[in-house]
Amino acid sequence: MKKPNNTSLHEPAFHIVKRDTIPLGKAMLIRVAAVAAALLLCSVLSVLLINANPFEFIETLIDGAVGSARRLWKLAKDSAVLLCISLAVTPAFRMRFWNIGAEGQTLIGALAAVAVAFYLGGSLPNTVLLVLMLLAAVLAGAVWGCIPAIFKALWKTNETLFTLMMNYVATGLVSFFLVIWTPSGSSVLGALSVGHLPIVFHEYFLLIAITLILTFVVHIYLSRTKQGYEISVVGESENTARYIGIGVGKVIIRTMIVSGAICGLAGFLIVGALDHSITTTTVGGLGFTAIMASWLAKFNPIVMIGSSAFITFLDQGSAQISTNFNIDSSFPDMVVGIVLFFIIGCEFFISYRLKFRDSDQNAKKGGAGK
Amino acid sequence: MFKKILTLSLLVIMVAAVCLSMVSCNKTEDEFKLGVILLHDEASTYDLNFIEAVERAAEQLGLSESQVIMKKNIPESNDCYEAAADLVDEGCDIIFADSFGHETYMIKAAKEFTDVQFCHATGTMAHTEGLANFHNAFASIYEGRFLAGVAAGLKLNEMIASGKITAEQAKIGYVGAFTYAEVISGYTSFYLGAKYICPSVTMDVQFTGSWYDENEEKNAAIALMNNGCVLISQHADSMGAPTACEERSVPNVSYNGSTVASCPNTFIVSSKIDWTPYFVYICNSYMNGEEIAVDWTGTISTGSVALAEVNTQAAAEGTQAKIDEIKAKLVDGSLKVFDTSTFTVTVVTEGENTKNVNAKVDANGNLTSYMADVDTDAAYTADTEVIKDGYFHESEFRSAPCFDIQIDGITLLNAKF
Amino acid sequence: MNKPVALEMKKVSKYFGTLAANKDVDLTVYRGEILAILGENGCGKTTLMNMIAGIYYPDHGTIAVDGQEVVIRSPKDAFRHGIGMIHQHFKLVDLFTAAENIVLGVDSEEKFNIRDVNRRVQEIADKYGFRIDPKKKIYEMSVSEKQTVEILKVLYRGADILILDEPSAVLTPQETDKLFDILRRMRADGKSILIITHKLHEVLSISDRVAVLRKGEHVATVETAQTNESQLTEMMVGKKVELNIDRPEPKNVTDRLEIKHLSMTDAEGVKILDDVSFTARSGEILGIAGIAGSGQKELLESIAGLCHPIEGEILYHNPKNDTTENLRDKDPVAIRELGVRLSFVPEDRLGMGLVGNMDLVDNMMLRSYRKGHSMFVDRKKPGDLAKKIVEELEVSTPSTHTPVRRLSGGNVQKVLVGREIAAAPTVLMAAYPVRGLDINSSYTIYGLLTKQKEQGVSVIFVGEDLDVLVELCDRILVICGGRVTGILDGRKTTKEEIGLLMTKAERADAPELTEKEGN
Repeated sequence: MKKPNNTSLHEPAFHIVKRDTIPLGKAMLIRVAAVAAALLLCSVLSVLLINANPFEFIETLIDGAVGSARRLWKLAKDSAVLLCISLAVTPAFRMRFWNIGAEGQTLIGALAAVAVAFYLGGSLPNTVLLVLMLLAAVLAGAVWGCIPAIFKALWKTNETLFTLMMNYVATGLVSFFLVIWTPSGSSVLGALSVGHLPIVFHEYFLLIAITLILTFVVHIYLSRTKQGYEISVVGESENTARYIGIGVGKVIIRTMIVSGAICGLAGFLIVGALDHSITTTTVGGLGFTAIMASWLAKFNPIVMIGSSAFITFLDQGSAQISTNFNIDSSFPDMVVGIVLFFIIGCEFFISYRLKFRDSDQNAKKGGAGK
Repeated sequence: MFKKILTLSLLVIMVAAVCLSMVSCNKTEDEFKLGVILLHDEASTYDLNFIEAVERAAEQLGLSESQVIMKKNIPESNDCYEAAADLVDEGCDIIFADSFGHETYMIKAAKEFTDVQFCHATGTMAHTEGLANFHNAFASIYEGRFLAGVAAGLKLNEMIASGKITAEQAKIGYVGAFTYAEVISGYTSFYLGAKYICPSVTMDVQFTGSWYDENEEKNAAIALMNNGCVLISQHADSMGAPTACEERSVPNVSYNGSTVASCPNTFIVSSKIDWTPYFVYICNSYMNGEEIAVDWTGTISTGSVALAEVNTQAAAEGTQAKIDEIKAKLVDGSLKVFDTSTFTVTVVTEGENTKNVNAKVDANGNLTSYMADVDTDAAYTADTEVIKDGYFHESEFRSAPCFDIQIDGITLLNAKF
Repeated sequence: MNKPVALEMKKVSKYFGTLAANKDVDLTVYRGEILAILGENGCGKTTLMNMIAGIYYPDHGTIAVDGQEVVIRSPKDAFRHGIGMIHQHFKLVDLFTAAENIVLGVDSEEKFNIRDVNRRVQEIADKYGFRIDPKKKIYEMSVSEKQTVEILKVLYRGADILILDEPSAVLTPQETDKLFDILRRMRADGKSILIITHKLHEVLSISDRVAVLRKGEHVATVETAQTNESQLTEMMVGKKVELNIDRPEPKNVTDRLEIKHLSMTDAEGVKILDDVSFTARSGEILGIAGIAGSGQKELLESIAGLCHPIEGEILYHNPKNDTTENLRDKDPVAIRELGVRLSFVPEDRLGMGLVGNMDLVDNMMLRSYRKGHSMFVDRKKPGDLAKKIVEELEVSTPSTHTPVRRLSGGNVQKVLVGREIAAAPTVLMAAYPVRGLDINSSYTIYGLLTKQKEQGVSVIFVGEDLDVLVELCDRILVICGGRVTGILDGRKTTKEEIGLLMTKAERADAPELTEKEGN
């Protein structure tokens, strides 16, 4: 063994220390700081890349998201749709079942709703038609969700890949039916005139209200019911579940049925309240964005209201930047990416603390920080 | 938990307050504004064609940057309605949407905002919808296709003359998106143009089932080449087919934009719709207080149909001169693209594979009557006689193409779409 | 002490959040000595050693090697200063040979030559008396052989300050003795050895000096020759402790659980349990002794209905109605529905017995949440139970709504055992219930088990500390490689006898084994 001759002291400038607990206020402060830092970086980039001044940039972002009553409604509506799908993936995620097939489960729900409207529209009263559309969508979503669950429960297949692949099957099915439904060959169905949800108070009000009610239902389901409790146990430790005699496979399948059914409901809402039609991009990636909304909220449905609204806010605001500065949409995508990166990255500072050499003396007095 | 909700709602309220204060200082000047809704962004050649046209029109009309608002990446869903409504709020006087699937949502917006003009490219519903402020537009792109076909025919003749292929081997391959009137009209006019120059030509068509799928389009082109096609053209939006041609040194006639940069050895010519005249037209009409046509068809004479520069590297000699010559004939009306005497049609009304059931032909197989589906309805009923004066009146009863006859000499390899 | 100083720590502190794992610790290690680091679980022994080995970086204080102050930021830095640590959990690549594992990660200028390495490993092994084949693959090795590889790994890198974290935890008494002989030889060679332990008799038998830690602070360092068990215990715990385990005579003994010819295989078809038969009786504690991984876990889990044997019977004699049920192949819910009150404290407390991220109340519900027809869970009764357990067992926790993973090991175990006892069991199985617990908590648990026994419960206790087994249990079943190698009377046997049965090689039973496989 060679001993270093000059044992010069290279004390590190800082080292990383785990935090015990952190007061909520401070944690929120760190998150707000992260968002602020991210927006600052975006502003700087906007100066460098698109030659906009940073204030204009932030102003446009906010203006685009909430600059008019219409935009506020759109923000609320888009958040609600995202929230609905986020709620859908949450039970599965709480169970540590990585369902990334919400896109397909929602799309297949939408397809089922459109199919009912397409074939039965006109021959049934609207209320009956809507009920049938809802049932078909929920059922289709549930089936789509439970197929990977059955495989997982029985043969331990990888649910991430399986649910992902099911997305492509769903997209393919939509293309297939669009060809059948459009004899002219355009593959564009256009808005159907039947199966519209009634307009209460405002065009989007019903959809938002349903989603908010659903939020509380899912919250209660997860935190107050026996099934919700089982989901938590299975998610935390399959061994514990085994230990107390919970049929892990059964819980997986049941939870994915719930998860898929809520996706189906989201599909129904998109069709019944908004599009009245379907394309292969009807869900438009929300199934994946929902994963992020759910994670950001730490799988808490109530907090998810905030996280979905925040993501939608960024999305809508940055689309306005693309419009106002007439740049292609990669820039807004970059903005959203940077902000989310900062938010996820700041979790590190919520769990850990950097300790600098100079702060040694202070820390000694105060134990380990506040 | 309660604290969390409180913090969150406070945040929301604060943000909302900031924003509302900004709304109040919104500008309200009364200048003319054009709103444009695009399905994708510059990355798509289809949308790029529109974006460039808007920019050229704005330049010609002297519109400032703030007078043109473009919303990109708007899907064919209720989002289109929302984008239109938002443009109305922004003070737009004319709102234009570029994709076929936007139509129903544009109509929804047109019904709500009656004092704003809504214009929609490639749509079919304006002339039946009866809205004073909703308009369709298209161009007689079949004329451009016909000219491109002429260039292809010249190339085939050159190959026959040089002994590369025999006259019987002159087969064109065509990659199409869907079995849809716009595509059928496109490849048929292209074929007729080639046949006008090279009478022995035949054509195979392979469909991909998507407007944009680079892999599928490339595979389709390769399959066609393997099937004996010596020249390829396409009606789809990606670079799939042109790159496949460049790799195999098979001549290619492109669509929408020139692909000469990526395919210097094989690109002959391409036809495209130039939307600039339309944008100029609608803006001028509005500013002059004139009505915008319900169903506007741009033609080769209005400058709406254009050909890219001929690539002399790949094209046969004298191509440009021939194109100019025939173009003049199309402009003065002495030549009709769908002249019924230039092609024959087979009608099969019985059995499993019925074909061209709405057509009537004489003893030679030349069309004498055809009922086309001009007024869009759910059942796609054929409603209008389009054969008159010895030719098919494409884009005359409505701007969007309605020629969907399968003529002899063209084989559809997969008609399932 | 006139030996030269090898390592000196001055005022070293380390905090985890607000918790001080080590506070102002001073420690001196001389060349050629064995220093025992003694303290209860959670007193900061391992954290302190990790700072020397470069795993953690101290928040304050200095470390000096050979009188020179050094900065140790990584295990690599530690090696440069001649410090190496043998961790409790081995870090070896199963598919590599001993020698390959030993050279893995060694920076060397010269070209790699496995034959040279083999030779040098053999030389080091011979020098100190290790018995090892450098070419043997890790997956073919016993636990003690793997430990040998870990020690050689450190020696190969030229360490002359060695830190061993609870080396005897995975060894039988005989293997421990062998290891200690080797350590003594190293000491003679001038190496400094730090050995972390909480077993007093080991401290007394091997060390020259003992450094005692309590709650992160250094209490004192004493000469081993001038101290004794009770003094050390007092220093560790901070007060005088009665170290006797009460063992009342069993009363009203009846057969409660009868295991007959139980066999089980793992996923690869290897037998983990092989023809196990025994009877557990009410009112007594049946101890199960054996090297870790000899089938104890599978035995208890098959009784609890968590895994399924391929052969044999698990007969339960119900004292209520005098019936006998075969529990084999029934899941925990089915067993419960039969009216069998079986409680099980599994080895993996936070991974099986409790859910770490859930609070005390939710953990109380694990067994009982199904009660009632409502679809909603009732948290009132579990809440009361949690409060009761916190009070009666003196669980120190901020509240009953604290996630159990935040509690210390002893408190976690009190919560788990408390819950299992609250179900008023007729059979109580506990696997390593005092592992990682401090002395007070351990004795609380022993007391709880004995109290259950007095109430007529049939207690099955899987233990690792043979001293405790012979003091606590009425009968002791010894298991080796999935086979029962003996059932002994706890009052008459010795730990040496148990140790022998624990390693009783399959050789003796080999013919029988092959015959069985033939069937």
